[in-house]
Amino acid sequence: MARNKRVSHAAAGDEEDVNLTPMLDVVFILLIFFIVTAQFIKAPGVTPQRANVENDASVHPLGILIAIDENDDIYMDREIVRIEELGFQVGELRQDNPQGKIVVQPDRDSRAETLIEVMRVLSEKEGLTGIEISTEKD
Amino acid sequence: MRGRTQQAAEEAEVNMTPMLDVVFILLIFFIVTANFDREQAMVLEPPPPPSPDQPTDPVPTIIIYVDDYDRITVNSRSYELSGIRPTIERLRAEEPDSAVIIMAHPDARNETLLLLRDKAYDANVDKVNILLSGG
Repeated sequence: MARNKRVSHAAAGDEEDVNLTPMLDVVFILLIFFIVTAQFIKAPGVTPQRANVENDASVHPLGILIAIDENDDIYMDREIVRIEELGFQVGELRQDNPQGKIVVQPDRDSRAETLIEVMRVLSEKEGLTGIEISTEKD
Repeated sequence: MRGRTQQAAEEAEVNMTPMLDVVFILLIFFIVTANFDREQAMVLEPPPPPSPDQPTDPVPTIIIYVDDYDRITVNSRSYELSGIRPTIERLRAEEPDSAVIIMAHPDARNETLLLLRDKAYDANVDKVNILLSGG
């Protein structure tokens, strides 16, 4: 009786003991993948009305987002940035994200002067010859 | 002998459940914060840096003026947005390799600029300078 009990207990223990090692391997690989691909983009915090154009393309990976709302306020990282501070702020965000592309999101109704000033600052700061301007998704 | 092997097996059996919990929480955190966001974007050329001496421009240029009410003027004729592409194509057929410049009033709307640049892409213009007009 005692012997029988011990055997049945051992059998139940064997059943509970699932081999977790292969799953752990998979989970670790997923974890490492997501850690490596993780990029923390600071969202501007406003969603401007974008223009709808034909000659746009998908931009990836994103790095720094700069939004211009309909009142010509420039937003980065949920805060209004003055044009004089823009270069500095871009440099700050560049430290976190050295590779991502800069995308400017101007509102349809924002003024040309604001966008052109932003582009001038970005080209001086980053030496860009073309600046990605966000457009309406199809 | 038999007792000793059993004891070794018990020692090797580490309890992995707490570590698995932590790993799962990390995994879920990184999945949630991972962004595979994409933006649709069109490339616009920034204004060129001011050059100290303005050389006389030998390149023929098509200048598209946009005023503060978003009216579009080329060669002192006003155009609708839909007429811009044929106009650029016609002017570039007359004078091949003309540069295209958009002179925008500071109060012009950015949608107009983007749509104009879009039409220029349609007309196979690979570089358009966008400048601010005097105001």
